Amino acid sequence: MITVKNLFHSYNKDGNYQVKDVSFDIEKGEVFGFLGPSGAGKSTVQNILTGLLQLQQGEATLGGYDVKNMSKDMFNKIGMSFEQSNVYSKLTAKENLHFYGKLFDNPTRDPMELLKLVGLADKADIRAGEFSKGMKHRLTFARSMINNPEIWFLDEPTTGLDPSIAADIKDIIKQKNKEGITIFLTTHNMFIADELCDRVAFIVDGEIKLIDSPENLKLQYGDKLVKVEYFQGDQVLQKTLSIVLPEDKELLRNIIENHEIRTMHTKEATLEEIFIKVTGRGLI
Amino acid sequence: MFKRIWIIFIRDLKVNSKDFISLYILLIPILFAVCINLFAPGINDTTINLALIEGENQDQVEYLQRFAKVELFKNTEEIEKRVEKRDAIIGIIPKIDGYYLMSQGDESQGIVDYAKLLVSFYELDIDTEDSKGELMEFGRSVPPLKKSLVNTSILFISVLGGMLIALNIVEEKVDNTISAINLTPTSRTSFVLGKSVIGVLYAVFGSIALLFITGFGRVNILQLLLILLVTSLLSILVGFIQGLTNTDIISAAASIKLLFLPLIAGVLSIEILGDKWQKFFYWNPFYWAYKGNDIILAKSGTWGQILVYSGLVLLLSGIVFIFLAPKIRKGLE
Ligand SMILES: Nc1ncnc2c1ncn2[C@@H]1O[C@H](COP(=O)(O)OP(=O)(O)OP(=O)(O)O)[C@@H](O)[C@H]1O
Ligand SMILES: [Mg+2]
Repeated sequence: MITVKNLFHSYNKDGNYQVKDVSFDIEKGEVFGFLGPSGAGKSTVQNILTGLLQLQQGEATLGGYDVKNMSKDMFNKIGMSFEQSNVYSKLTAKENLHFYGKLFDNPTRDPMELLKLVGLADKADIRAGEFSKGMKHRLTFARSMINNPEIWFLDEPTTGLDPSIAADIKDIIKQKNKEGITIFLTTHNMFIADELCDRVAFIVDGEIKLIDSPENLKLQYGDKLVKVEYFQGDQVLQKTLSIVLPEDKELLRNIIENHEIRTMHTKEATLEEIFIKVTGRGLI
Repeated sequence: MFKRIWIIFIRDLKVNSKDFISLYILLIPILFAVCINLFAPGINDTTINLALIEGENQDQVEYLQRFAKVELFKNTEEIEKRVEKRDAIIGIIPKIDGYYLMSQGDESQGIVDYAKLLVSFYELDIDTEDSKGELMEFGRSVPPLKKSLVNTSILFISVLGGMLIALNIVEEKVDNTISAINLTPTSRTSFVLGKSVIGVLYAVFGSIALLFITGFGRVNILQLLLILLVTSLLSILVGFIQGLTNTDIISAAASIKLLFLPLIAGVLSIEILGDKWQKFFYWNPFYWAYKGNDIILAKSGTWGQILVYSGLVLLLSGIVFIFLAPKIRKGLE
């Protein structure tokens, strides 16, 4: 559905690349995640694919259309939720969706239905200028669905939202994916990536370091860990120990022999721990 | 394409009609017109004064009041006294088989004729609806001050149309919504045209309203439309550029105000400077627009002249466009 080959991008066209030799393919119906720290070039790649930024070097296709000279018709099939919400402050939530929907040629969704979906139904007639940051973000998110897109770009869809709303948004994304929609998601939140994505790409300083499914990554890179709680006198102590490292194994044996165990679980490494291991840097 | 131009225009209209600054701009043509009527003697506003006897013929008084300032007096002697006092008043006094006019003798022939005609028209039971001609303007020419005020106002209104466009572009910039529009099948041309419609319609309807209120409603509207459209092109261009290069409404409006300089220069050069200076203003599109409007308002413009003037405005705006188009294209990305 999306193919990208040897993509380079330099904002100042000075040989200083913010995106370097990026290549990947996204299958139809897949949720593909771009995971990387701030400034890694995630939004830049998304903006090149949607045509917001000119493609400078490399090749990219979107649903069979060449990104270099994208047909207007392609825009009927894509939707994008922007990282920074961008809605008309002087229009109400409903007017915003209504106006935007009319710019498409294909059947669009009912604004009220979308507002209900993101929890803004009771705010439909309030000007977006009076909205909080999170409300504007949800409106931007709702707007990206109005033309029933086949390819859906989500730039940081849950950033800055409170957990219960973030959970709603995650459910909507899962639901859409079930309907067969291809999703390209950008985030620096590894929980989101882990939970939603079929595959993730780790991107740092404009370069993709690795692409794989979260499950594979955990099998491949994650040491098996054991989290153990035990009694020492009346105290409950807790330790997380590797079952690979010799000194941890020794310690674990020691605990089991000499103490009463309260709980003991194996624990997988998180995507974040893997990210740090692979790229040598954190996600923030 | 037309669908999207329309949708974008309607959105702008909706926003502008709710916003204080743009609403104010929308009302300016009416405000201008009212001010011109107040301060410049108009063609509707007849300056002829008539003196009649009170209660002698109420029907006639009512008829004449529609076309002249009527003062009422008790009897013929009072009218006589009044007529002697000031020059521009004419007494209308009954005699056995009709009326005679009493004047001081130094009134202009036009005024006396006007009074005579009014009385005859009343006697013949002729009303304005019966006229094929211009009863209201009989014997008088359009006052030059009023004409040039109306002309200048029309040019102002077209610049304000550009300001309205700039306001709407600034709104898109501040809200960062152009990128969202760019992800719909809306072509850049549709967007630019959609955003321009409000400026053009404002210039057209604002000017026509101004003309009707100030009593120029019977000029050749088609000729005026042609000049208006080409003048608006310039305002649209400047509106777009300022909208795209400024991030707040105030600085955009301030930059657009600079357009008033060539506008005023064009007007003043024609109204004040002698023939030998005129060639120094040929570069100025407002100069030609003013000239075109002038003959339209005087109802002396032929289509040939109007085409030449609007052609010149178009040419000069075209040159400006060639310089500004790349900037506009870049700003919309
Ligand atoms: N308009 C621009 N002009 C110049 N440089 C830019 C521009 N936009 C982004 N950059 C640079 O390009 C690099 C990648 O930015 P990008 O926005 O793609 O990062 P990101 O991965 O989306 O980060 P975040 O997680 O903060 O959204 C950064 O170094 C940034 O400074
Ligand atoms: Mg980003």
